[in-house]
Amino acid sequence: MSDLNPPTDPERMKTQLPARATRPRNADAKPAASGAEKTRARPGGLFECIAEGRQFESVVHPDAGHDEAVVEIVDFRLWYGETQALHDISFSVPKGKVTALIGPSGCGKSTLIRCVNRMNDLVDSVRVEGQMKLNGDAIYGKGVDVIELRKRIGMVFQKPNPFPMSIFENVVYSLRIDGVRDRHALEEVCESSLRGAGLWDEVKDRLKDSALALSGGQQQRLCIARAIAAEPEVLLLDEPCSALDPIATGRIEDLIDDLKGLYSVLIVTHNMQQASRVSDNTAFMYLGRLVEYGPTETLFLSPSLRETEDYVTGRFG
Amino acid sequence: MSVAPEKPPREGKGAGRRIRRKSSLTSHGEPMVWLTGASLALCLVMISGLLGLVVYQGGRTFWPQEIVQVETLTGDVLMGQVSRVDTFTPSADALDALPDEARVRVEADMRANEGSVARRMLRTENFDLTGTHFDWIEESVIAAETKPEWAVVVERTAKGRFYGVPQAFLVDGEAHTVGSAATWGKFEEHHARILARVEQIHDLERDDLGHINSRIERQRLALREVELARGMESPEWIAKERETRALVEDAEREFVTITDEIGRLRTINDSFALRFETAGGGTAIVSLANIVRGTPVNRIGTAGKWSVYFDRWWEFLTADPREANSEGGVWPALFGTVMMTLLMTIVVVPIGVLAALYLHEYAKQGFLVGVVRVAVNNLAGVPSIVFGVFGLGFFCYIVGATIDDLFFGARLPNPTFGKGGILWASLTLALLTLPVVIVATEEALSAVPNSMREGSYACGATKWQTIWRIVLPRAQPGIMTGAILSIARGAGEVAPLMLVGAVKLAPDLPVDLGTFPYLFPERSFMHLGFHIYDVGFQSQNSEAAKPMVYTTTLLLIAIVVLLNFVAIAIRARLRRRFLGART
Ligand SMILES: Nc1ncnc2c1ncn2[C@@H]1O[C@H](COP(=O)(O)OP(=O)(O)OP(=O)(O)O)[C@@H](O)[C@H]1O
Ligand SMILES: [Mg+2]
Repeated sequence: MSDLNPPTDPERMKTQLPARATRPRNADAKPAASGAEKTRARPGGLFECIAEGRQFESVVHPDAGHDEAVVEIVDFRLWYGETQALHDISFSVPKGKVTALIGPSGCGKSTLIRCVNRMNDLVDSVRVEGQMKLNGDAIYGKGVDVIELRKRIGMVFQKPNPFPMSIFENVVYSLRIDGVRDRHALEEVCESSLRGAGLWDEVKDRLKDSALALSGGQQQRLCIARAIAAEPEVLLLDEPCSALDPIATGRIEDLIDDLKGLYSVLIVTHNMQQASRVSDNTAFMYLGRLVEYGPTETLFLSPSLRETEDYVTGRFG
Repeated sequence: MSVAPEKPPREGKGAGRRIRRKSSLTSHGEPMVWLTGASLALCLVMISGLLGLVVYQGGRTFWPQEIVQVETLTGDVLMGQVSRVDTFTPSADALDALPDEARVRVEADMRANEGSVARRMLRTENFDLTGTHFDWIEESVIAAETKPEWAVVVERTAKGRFYGVPQAFLVDGEAHTVGSAATWGKFEEHHARILARVEQIHDLERDDLGHINSRIERQRLALREVELARGMESPEWIAKERETRALVEDAEREFVTITDEIGRLRTINDSFALRFETAGGGTAIVSLANIVRGTPVNRIGTAGKWSVYFDRWWEFLTADPREANSEGGVWPALFGTVMMTLLMTIVVVPIGVLAALYLHEYAKQGFLVGVVRVAVNNLAGVPSIVFGVFGLGFFCYIVGATIDDLFFGARLPNPTFGKGGILWASLTLALLTLPVVIVATEEALSAVPNSMREGSYACGATKWQTIWRIVLPRAQPGIMTGAILSIARGAGEVAPLMLVGAVKLAPDLPVDLGTFPYLFPERSFMHLGFHIYDVGFQSQNSEAAKPMVYTTTLLLIAIVVLLNFVAIAIRARLRRRFLGART
């Protein structure tokens, strides 16, 4: 079990990078960076360069770009009020594969993933530039129906958030809001989604019970079932295991493995083992920028950048 | 590494510390425990004292007390029920007025009791004969006290109670029985039938005559409408006029038949009477039709007393008031209170919830919303009479008058909606309790975790779908709490009601299943709270009304508690349904 709590676990990251994690481009960032620099990074390293806001090119490995893209991100920038949280991000999420987003806390992973289904519209101060495309359709721009767009995307959050209703109603929620009333169709979708989320055997006898009576791990799998019930074109997972114990985490990881091929998955994780185990491609972000993106194997075993290597091996901080 | 675990202090230092600690009162837990506990105890004592008083006084009103007959040293004989016992200090003049023997006794009593004398208040009634309802008697001037076996307390339809010993049963003025037992037997045999006839007369007067009256009234209104629309002397008006005259003639014939019937029933009833011997030795005749209930209290035993007790409660809950509200029942007030509260709830909950939804879910949180929120909160602190004035000025005089102009022109200048009524009262109270619902709902809405909303949006739900399917169900128990609070506040409010429709006496309920259109939201109504005020402060016989004040208060508390219990039960069910076994 100990390997599930590697040196790069989120708690440690946070404690080691307090100033940067919460306030990018803050003056305080400098001493912290120089502390790191003394032991590992080159003088004038990439992190320093990013922290100072200088231009740099993200490294995108060519073999990550061969597959057909389900989500394409082009020069994407985002501001929370005056603060820019995402800088010129460009990469594409391949169809039918699992793509992991890694990076220290506060680097903008959640922000980026929430941009894909435009959850950031709910935040008043957000302003974006650049474009994202879902299977070729623009996500941002005039005339985009956000409701329709969200129906094509499934999302699972960090903390399980089952609705206060029965298990059955939770799973078929997205059909309900579309006005589906056919009992038979609903039951079919409910069963196949629960099977897909590996929860069917545990709850098949208590579909009428409140979803809040399930355990945390079961709740999270229920949320996955709810997300796949609408047959989404892409599944967004924002740290789906961070509120779970190692066993429940293992089950979710197995589940993501099973979903591979059926769904395109974009997953945010703080756990390097998890990223290397479940993902095909990995994107490493730092302070709102994409640093390196490529096949997981390349990124973990022979990354082009020293910083990426430091981060994935847990020597960074 | 920098902070070492604290080591236990060494002798000298530790002792000094301990002394310092002792010097501060707050460093000990106990004083605060006692203070907080005492405050709680004080609250509990006050609440239980209030409830205890109301329950005790209200609960015993209907218990039939024994009738005593006392003879005083001055030679007076009084019969009645003891209603109060206390002590007082008689003035010198009053002492001088007493006959010698009595004065000696009273003075002895005064010496023994530090200058005060015990006395009791006897409810002697027989107001038409004696001119008083109550008499004070000093204990020391009582020469003899008996409990006559056949003493009867009679509750009459008018002029208060009557105390006496039945002597004879009279039919058309002739005595048919001799002796109390035989007379009373005869009375019990006939009384039910006579009450049935009284009821019949009442029905004839209210329903049959009432219907004829309202038919004529409707016809007159129709005629007036034609007159307003077409003018007098127009052919339509002439036709209508002829129709009206025919109808009125018809009605008058019916009227005569019914009045004849009423007269006949009255004559039968009036032929029966009871002759009583009163305390002073005289006799009095009471017509059976005037007797609501006669109880030979000293004979009936405990079971009989319980039966009378419940019978009087039943009358209290179901009958109309008698004798300027100080006797009889409170049914119209009970009905008015419950109906007004329900109407108010039906109005205030949806409006309050929708308003809170806008404030919390739709409005962009900013300065303006903050101002609105503060304003709503402050509205809760506005004195209720202010709402009454607003209700009168806005609902009755502006909205009501407009409705009258538009739809009830024929009845003018008599207002229909342009005066106080149960609808306006409900709306006024809805306004009064609106802040309660808004604040409670907003609290409930903020308690719904944002992650739920996000989950719903992520599934492609619209804002309203999210609110309707996720937020509202989750917030429902909290919203019910708001409704409960508003019911509790609204049901007990009296001041504004006096301005917008609560009246002393309104036997016509706002719901009448016998007359089209069955619901009369414009009617004024009776309300328990106002009834308490009226009985307690506006009746001439305030001593007799006092027990009724307590009983009505008890009923009002019971109603509020009951309404709350219903709402709490609904809330508990919702909780179970929406939140499942855990959390
Ligand atoms: N609603 C918001 N308003 C303003 N700033 C925000 C908001 N949400 C996030 N930010 C800022 O944007 C930056 C990126 O945050 P984000 O939540 O995307 O980080 P993250 O990579 O998901 O971190 P973690 O791994 O801790 O979840 C942070 O500096 C954060 O403070
Ligand atoms: Mg995050």
